[in-house]
Amino acid sequence: MVTFIAGLLDATVQAATVLLLAGMGELISERAGVLNLGVEGMMLVGALGGFITTVLTGSHWLGFGVGILLGMVLALVHAFLCITLKSNQVISGVMLTLLGTGLTTFFGSGWVEESIDGFPQMTFPLVGQYLVGVPVVGEALFRSTATDYLALGLLVVVWYFLHHSNLGLEMIAVGEDPEMADTMGVSVFRLRYLAVLIGGGFAGAAGAHLSLAFSQLWVPGMTAGRGWIAVALVIFAQWRPRRMLVGAYLFGLLDALRIRSQSISLTLGPDAPLAGVINPIVEFLMTPQIMGTYPYLATIIVLAYAVIRTKSDQLAVPSALLQSYSRETD
Amino acid sequence: MNVAVTVDAREDIPVWLAYGTPVFTVLAALAVSAIALVVLDVNPVAAYATMFVDTLVTEFGLTETLTKAVPLILTGLAVYLPLKAGLFNIGAEGQLVAGALAGTWIGLNVSLPGLALVPLMFVAAAVAGGIWAGIPAYLRAKWDVNEIITSLLLTFVALELQSYLLRGPMQGGTGNFPQSERFSEAATIPELVSGVHAGLLVAVCMVVVTYVLMTRTRLGFEITFVGSNHEAARQAGMSKFYVYLFVFVVGGAFAAMGGISEIAGAQGRYRAGFEPGYGFTAIPIALLGRNSALKVLLAGLFFAVLFVGGSSMEVAFGVPAALVEIIQALVILFLITAEFFKSYRVGIDIKRGPTETPAQPQRGDD
Repeated sequence: MVTFIAGLLDATVQAATVLLLAGMGELISERAGVLNLGVEGMMLVGALGGFITTVLTGSHWLGFGVGILLGMVLALVHAFLCITLKSNQVISGVMLTLLGTGLTTFFGSGWVEESIDGFPQMTFPLVGQYLVGVPVVGEALFRSTATDYLALGLLVVVWYFLHHSNLGLEMIAVGEDPEMADTMGVSVFRLRYLAVLIGGGFAGAAGAHLSLAFSQLWVPGMTAGRGWIAVALVIFAQWRPRRMLVGAYLFGLLDALRIRSQSISLTLGPDAPLAGVINPIVEFLMTPQIMGTYPYLATIIVLAYAVIRTKSDQLAVPSALLQSYSRETD
Repeated sequence: MNVAVTVDAREDIPVWLAYGTPVFTVLAALAVSAIALVVLDVNPVAAYATMFVDTLVTEFGLTETLTKAVPLILTGLAVYLPLKAGLFNIGAEGQLVAGALAGTWIGLNVSLPGLALVPLMFVAAAVAGGIWAGIPAYLRAKWDVNEIITSLLLTFVALELQSYLLRGPMQGGTGNFPQSERFSEAATIPELVSGVHAGLLVAVCMVVVTYVLMTRTRLGFEITFVGSNHEAARQAGMSKFYVYLFVFVVGGAFAAMGGISEIAGAQGRYRAGFEPGYGFTAIPIALLGRNSALKVLLAGLFFAVLFVGGSSMEVAFGVPAALVEIIQALVILFLITAEFFKSYRVGIDIKRGPTETPAQPQRGDD
């Protein structure tokens, strides 16, 4: 049981990093008032770009950088359409996911068989080698890839940036009340562009982490809906970075549990009372595909609960989300 | 020299722009996609010739196109109808899957003569798709929970359920494939003309029903009114609640019919992954056809040509079928770009010498 839990925690950390990176980017973008439904596409572009770069140059850090850059390129299209041309954010986002999926399937078909040396597992700098032996949590916390640590570090940066730096607070103001922010001398357009670009960079990083550290190979469509989970995660976290951490690990745990659910048995013994009724239900609920629905269902329930329970003006959703800003409104 | 770009809101849209947009959009998307072909060392002209000419002049191409158009038109309507009320149904894919699963279950487990069984399968599918769409609709209508996110998330729930059912309770046939048993003769949608199943008739009927609903009935007027200004509609005594519920549930039922037509008409059995993103392709279809249900029909046919032509191009030139996805995305991209030029007039002003009042941009013409 101890080895099972240790393995589960290790898998949770790995699964959570992708969601954490993509989710942070989405959070920043939405905080500034721009919904980005193109995360999935940006992740795929980042994953393929990072992979190809690493194959060609042998440097996984260069690949990671290219992944971030390509995520930002796609985000620039989103920013131009949504901010400059005031297009519908939903349509633009879905289009970018389609485009990213299509482009990577198209150009990535020749790279499926390639293999790379991606990010290696390493112990945490300085203290890791002493702590990795700690039972149950040692491996999970202190032996991971560099990008796992990077994601956690970035979470602190994002939290500080959004809630304690001028630029971050201005960004939040832009997402809450662009007219007011504009009156106060904040450049709404510039800050929204910045937020969307940062968001795309994070999505690209999430994709590059996926292909360079998590699976170390390229398969078309390898994000497998994780970009959409990241969008859901932001709602789940109610647009707060710290809750994002909890959410990412919770969703990561669900992912890890699903993969490993075959090796555990929670059914009652055949003689236990009600075993005949409870066991089939438990077995059904433990089926990997059924477990796969939990993150989505949990998000719908949390979203509905949050909206129904609080008055809409108390909900954390940025007030100007989905609204394009135009100075000429009278 | 001083260059100033001016952007002014248009008061009315010129006719050539209003009607030409879909055509320009498609042509621009094809032109840009040609870059991808050139990169792969394929002659774009020859590739597009194969894509369109072979599809439109051969009997095989035409029947394939008409078959493919059925789920595309129906899911297109599933997005179009809520769009008219100002709602986004991003989850047509999930409604299609939920409906197809319910219809398939009836088709495999109920024995009735075909004349009764096939309609029953359609009804079961429509009910399941309606319920699937009803969840986000109710949450939105009652409590203003964002329908975009919920309908999308339910798509992934439906896909997981599909995978569960086809690997478990509904698995059939030989081998270990995630697929159902083959449909009996009675559960198969009969052929309309050679190679084209009667689902096409259903799709065309639903287009006509939607067209009449939107242009000839009070309810259609209410949908449009709520969609353009729900505050004014509320003051006029219209119920946003029922309109929202109606457009989404009926939309879900449309998508579901598309699903069961594809399964029981074209495939012959439920195979996991039979739906190459019909529900997502529905979005550009609904956008291209947003002015009228009849245009949704045309847009659905056009995307069917793209799909069928895409696979013949794949065979002939070894081009990945993903090119169709790229073209779809570019169609949306140029469409929303064109929306901007429809509502704004952009002028570029070039003057020689410094201007004294740079803060006061001038109109280019008039």
